[in-house]
Amino acid sequence: MPPIRDKFTIHSKAVVCQDVDLKGDITIGPSSVVHPKATIFALGGPIVIGSGCIIEEAAIIVNRRKEVMRIGDNNLFEIGCRVESPSIGTNNTISTRARVHHTVRISNFCVIGAGCLVVPTEDEILEEYTSVYGPASERRIWSGRGKVQEADLRIKHAEYLREMLPKFNRLRRGDGA
Amino acid sequence: MWPSIQYYCPCMSATNGQTPSPPPPTLASSSASFHPLHNLYFCEECDIVRCNRCVSVEVSGYYCPNCLFEVPSASVRAEKNRCARNCFSCPICRSTLSVVASDPPDDGDGRPSVSLSNVGEAPYFLYCNHCRWDSAGVDITFEKPTGLAAQLQKFEDSAPESLEFERLKEHFEPFLRTSSLSSSSHLPAVSSHHLHTSSATAAASAALAREIPGVGKHNPLGRSRAGRDRTANKDEMPEYKSRVEAGVFSQLGGGGDDVDVELLKHMETVEEVAKLDQRWGNSWAASLRSSDLRPHRIPLHSKVSKRCPACRHILIKPEQKAQSVRYKIKLVAANYLPAITVGFPQTQATRRVTSKAPSSGADGKNGVMQSGTSNPFQLALTNPLYDPIQVRLSPQRVADARSYQVSLPTTPFSIAAFAEAWEYDDDEDMFGVEDDELGIGDVGRGTRDKEARGRLKNVGVLERRANVTTVGGEVNIKPGFRGNVKFNMLVTYTYRSDDPLPSEDGAGTPSRSTKPPEVKTFSFYTVIDLGPSVVPKDDKLDAES
Repeated sequence: MPPIRDKFTIHSKAVVCQDVDLKGDITIGPSSVVHPKATIFALGGPIVIGSGCIIEEAAIIVNRRKEVMRIGDNNLFEIGCRVESPSIGTNNTISTRARVHHTVRISNFCVIGAGCLVVPTEDEILEEYTSVYGPASERRIWSGRGKVQEADLRIKHAEYLREMLPKFNRLRRGDGA
Repeated sequence: MWPSIQYYCPCMSATNGQTPSPPPPTLASSSASFHPLHNLYFCEECDIVRCNRCVSVEVSGYYCPNCLFEVPSASVRAEKNRCARNCFSCPICRSTLSVVASDPPDDGDGRPSVSLSNVGEAPYFLYCNHCRWDSAGVDITFEKPTGLAAQLQKFEDSAPESLEFERLKEHFEPFLRTSSLSSSSHLPAVSSHHLHTSSATAAASAALAREIPGVGKHNPLGRSRAGRDRTANKDEMPEYKSRVEAGVFSQLGGGGDDVDVELLKHMETVEEVAKLDQRWGNSWAASLRSSDLRPHRIPLHSKVSKRCPACRHILIKPEQKAQSVRYKIKLVAANYLPAITVGFPQTQATRRVTSKAPSSGADGKNGVMQSGTSNPFQLALTNPLYDPIQVRLSPQRVADARSYQVSLPTTPFSIAAFAEAWEYDDDEDMFGVEDDELGIGDVGRGTRDKEARGRLKNVGVLERRANVTTVGGEVNIKPGFRGNVKFNMLVTYTYRSDDPLPSEDGAGTPSRSTKPPEVKTFSFYTVIDLGPSVVPKDDKLDAES
């Protein structure tokens, strides 16, 4: 395995704290927020994170594959979750301490509940609006009612963090800056 | 897990004057009489331990566990034991639902051009934050976000099942009233509650006998007598006409056998069928499909107070407020009886852990005792009283002489009084003080303890710290014994009765100066389980050959 070359491309509008663990080729899009103590490892191929994503403390995002791991817009990765999914759409929520394996591709508007394991042995794509919940990681399809309010809340959440985090944390800039 | 200790409540055994002795601990049925100390109460009036089996329980208030609203008991029945405010539980995952407003009408691009204000717009619906179920899927929406239960009540009450049930109640109401009136007039001796139920069952059985030919003949003797008593009543009762034919009910929920079979044929995942626990609160005629499940109002919880069955004094009574977790009255046994913990000495425990690996692996989850050895154990007694107490331990003789023998110090020993200060510092400072505070006859006992310790180094008082005294005992397991080492132990302690006990009502606390200290004795049984004993490997061969 060749040594991992670090290459961080961080959009000037993104807020990435100094105390994050980044490795490999990582691109972070505009107005995304990465809390301190988050971990993003592009061990195989690069990781590209879209706009408006929130990555909270102790969240772990790993790409072990050769291909690019694409994470869409307005996703929320809550505290202590671990995601290795090769592609993630938009407006998804990965709740606290949930785990998503590299066999799962997440589409849009999915919710992985707190502590849920999504670890199928075969490749799988989570349908849009899938909600995984409960101790047995049961699934159901959300009707999508209330998604506008939720999206709005997500945007406000990111806005607030972009305002507050720089007051108490040093920020990391991309290689270009 | 062992080693463990449980306290005996004498309520299960017949009392004949003296302290009732507990059943032998080797009987499986004995476990019903023994309880952990923290589950027991103590009645000051009767001077006896009470357990949850023997206390009489009464509800002191109802509240909703979600909104913590205290529901007056008058309205509990009308609201069918469920919260009548805005609390609902998700039919899928049982978490609490929240009320949310609908999204503003989509303007095409899927994103609101202006930031949404906090006030949503109608219709409102219930939404589960956990599994994302929402009530709009089962056509439950609200015009305003308040008083939801009242809005839902309309649907609930208009359901055919509940209408039928209301009608049934109405139908039986006059009959029940007249029969209870008449029976209470000429049978005043029997409790009205009993009569009430018996007349109801009599009515039901009479109706059954009329409807189904043959049932009337097989009535038991008592039942037929009851029927004869109330011949007039029986004839008076008009026949009940149901609103709907009984067969129609099964089709109400979209059910019926054929439909269910059809549903199951086309089912793709198990989740499509509602689980039994999800359907439990519904009527029998509800649909099988989980997509048809409806939200339930959250069932109320109750706070109960408990009374002594003999003297009717309150043993424990919670505060009325739902938010409060405190008690107005709390006479728990832990405030009266010394708390005992059982343990093995440190060296013993480590030896067991190390020695268990070569010995039989099957039982060796924890340290196990081997037969043919003597095993020391320790009892730490903690005094909850504000006075020093004298304690005597007397283990009950084990019935089977071939099993094991327990030796414990038989001489009384003292435990120093409880003082709040000892809760805070547990270092060595307390050692000097404690000897002065010990009660009468202390000096002689101390030397005797030393003698005992010399004679048998494991048995006797091992340590005194603050209000805790640790005594050592030993169990001598006879060779070839297999099974749990369990024995009953009578604990007798004497205390000065004129000093205030840590009780709320202050009963039995006359002024201290007038009376000389009066010594009282209380005794209770405990069962000590020291865990299993196994036959060592080489012995096992001998025993079996």
